[in-house]
Amino acid sequence: MSPSGPVVGSGVDFSGPGHSARMIGSPPLEAPVQATGVVKRYGQRTVLDRVSLSVKPGITGLVGPNGAGKSTLVKAILGLVRLAEGSVRVFGIDPRREPRAVRRFVGVVPEDECAVPGLSGVEMVRYAARLSGIPGIESLRRAHEVLDWCNAGQERYRPVETLSVGMRQKISFAAAIVHDPRLVILDEPTNGLDPIERRAMLGRLTTLAREHGKTILISTHVLPDVQAICDSVIVLAAGRVRLTGSIRALTHPPTPQERLEVAGPVDELVRRLVARGIPARRAHSADFFPTAAGSAGRFCAAVGTMAAEDGAQEGVVLLQLSTPDALAGMWAEVGHLGIRVRSLTAACRPFEEVFLEALQAPPLESLHAAP
Amino acid sequence: MPLHDVGYRPWQGRRSGSLAAIFVIATTGLTLAWTSRWLRRAVFFAWSPALVFAGSFFVFEQAIDEGRLDSIRESARLGRNVDGVGILGRVIAGSLGPVDDPADRHLGPEERANKARRMVWARLMLAFMRSPQAILLAIVVGLVAPTLVSRDLRVKAWLIYFTRPVGKFEYIAGKLLILGLLVASITMLPALSLWVAGVAVSPSLWVAVTTWDLPLRIIVASLALAIPTVLMALAYSSVTAESRIASFAWFATWAACWIAHTSLSTADMARLVSDDSVASQPSVPGQFSVEEGAVPTSRANVRRRAPAEDLGETIVDFIQGLEGRGPGDGRRPNAQRARWFSRVTGVDATIDRWAWLSPYHALGVIQAWVFGIEHRWEAILPPLLSLGSVSVVSAVVLWWRVDAPARA
Repeated sequence: MSPSGPVVGSGVDFSGPGHSARMIGSPPLEAPVQATGVVKRYGQRTVLDRVSLSVKPGITGLVGPNGAGKSTLVKAILGLVRLAEGSVRVFGIDPRREPRAVRRFVGVVPEDECAVPGLSGVEMVRYAARLSGIPGIESLRRAHEVLDWCNAGQERYRPVETLSVGMRQKISFAAAIVHDPRLVILDEPTNGLDPIERRAMLGRLTTLAREHGKTILISTHVLPDVQAICDSVIVLAAGRVRLTGSIRALTHPPTPQERLEVAGPVDELVRRLVARGIPARRAHSADFFPTAAGSAGRFCAAVGTMAAEDGAQEGVVLLQLSTPDALAGMWAEVGHLGIRVRSLTAACRPFEEVFLEALQAPPLESLHAAP
Repeated sequence: MPLHDVGYRPWQGRRSGSLAAIFVIATTGLTLAWTSRWLRRAVFFAWSPALVFAGSFFVFEQAIDEGRLDSIRESARLGRNVDGVGILGRVIAGSLGPVDDPADRHLGPEERANKARRMVWARLMLAFMRSPQAILLAIVVGLVAPTLVSRDLRVKAWLIYFTRPVGKFEYIAGKLLILGLLVASITMLPALSLWVAGVAVSPSLWVAVTTWDLPLRIIVASLALAIPTVLMALAYSSVTAESRIASFAWFATWAACWIAHTSLSTADMARLVSDDSVASQPSVPGQFSVEEGAVPTSRANVRRRAPAEDLGETIVDFIQGLEGRGPGDGRRPNAQRARWFSRVTGVDATIDRWAWLSPYHALGVIQAWVFGIEHRWEAILPPLLSLGSVSVVSAVVLWWRVDAPARA
């Protein structure tokens, strides 16, 4: 299936006439999910307003404030709601016309805990497998296999209503993937998980996407999760697409920028770098900078000014080292001032900052309406 | 890492079709429902009336075998207890008519026995299906049905179904099958077992051939019993997320409709009893009447009368019975009991004009029709339309409601 209109970007792209202005990313790929001009109204309220997007293989984050229309978009993908206008295609199939065919390819982890009271965890996953068409005994074998992969342990034999929130989330995830879907949709998949399980869950999603070629769409409010594992993102607000693109492209600053974490006279270092013609500034206390190598990002507001263990002042300097001379100059000044370098990494913008900016921005359609 | 963790592996087996989901939903639902101790008790108890009726079959077949049919009929006609099984005597008396029925004179003993058997078995089956089983059905369905859809709505389990290749049809059919199997287990299966028992205790296995249509009638009667009740129960369950409310609505419907039926019948009775012209009529044609030995299901033997008139006569007879005055020589059995039983077994030829109002009574009329005991369209049509309407409305509500949360 080839999506209609121009498709740009590595993961999620807004496609439609003239909508490439904010497309950032890599070459086009086949889109498992393609929505074109989707309008959904509940009475007088328009929940989705001319939403056009495509979801590419990989992990895509669907983010937006409450009431943005994320759940409705997911329902539209599953063919559960009747659209006022527009169309959705999932692997080239119209979910409204052939919902069963679409749902064979799709696994869903809903935000709400949903389970059949009275069934144990493994029975619940098996039930999901059988409803998806996996026959009798094979469904049991497959349920255990997936639960093993999800590290469900012996808890799987307890009734679902007695399980912890985290365990129920695992069961729900296992039920969603037990039939080996090509597209997995997750609504707040890390809700209720402790840090270890959260990391494990993100790892499983990455495995599914990277090693098994699944397309994963995550609807979440946890922006660090999005930044940690998503290839691309859709920002939805008030029923409209505000921003789409690859995470890497969106979170890197417009110009190459480095992040230098040091202990010593930070302000003096900044002054000398500027005097050498190297663009540099000290990080504001409100800034936070997830490192490019970091998995989930971390707040670094405190690094603006803090005392190191030996009493030296610690800080973060943002600078632009565009030439080898600039790099040599930086090292010279660091050596001259006796500054200890903690790290030198490529800086990137926190996704939260990108997200908040996107919410302030007009909808993508407005950009094209303007002359 | 778990010992058996082989990591995530793709699954590429052959998948079953969407219709298999109906079976999956039904079996899982039944398994879950069966964990209820009360349901197990109710189903177990629901089989106990079959034992009593099996006794009636046995006595009847013994009587035929010993050539004592006429003596039993005569005993029943005289209001005596027949071989300790009072049900049987009254059924025979009401079914077979007078001992010297001119219609039977040209028949041989074997043919008379077969005719008697068909009539008595049908009436016993009707009595079994209509009186204990219909009431037990209301209880069993009331224990299971209210939770079937409402719980899915409450705990959002509908997401489990409608995010998978399961459509509304499969979902509803699966839920209906749960109740259908339960209803079958307390109506169809015991009734079929009764038929098998009847054949087993009869003088010859050829009886199975002469009564071949009874199993089919039992199946149809069970379906007639199941379809409206199951649809109505599921519809109630689908309109609320609180199964308690659905449960209350279910039992309240049966009780309220029964009370309404009784009230209206009583009002008619009061009106007609006060009518001197009616009260003065001594004869009770068409009514359960051992004196006359009428065969009320036969059009020829039932005088065409207005329903209210028939009812009036029934009531007069009822009151006379209570006062100990039979319309004849005072040998009538207790009128109240007789009236109840005559209606349950279809011997009562009066038209219950309020039957359409109460599911229990409407189902009784339809079952009498299925068993070939009731033929009059003026009696059949109102309950048929009533139950048909209930079924259609329930199905529409159910279809609309089961995926309502998904659309919201």
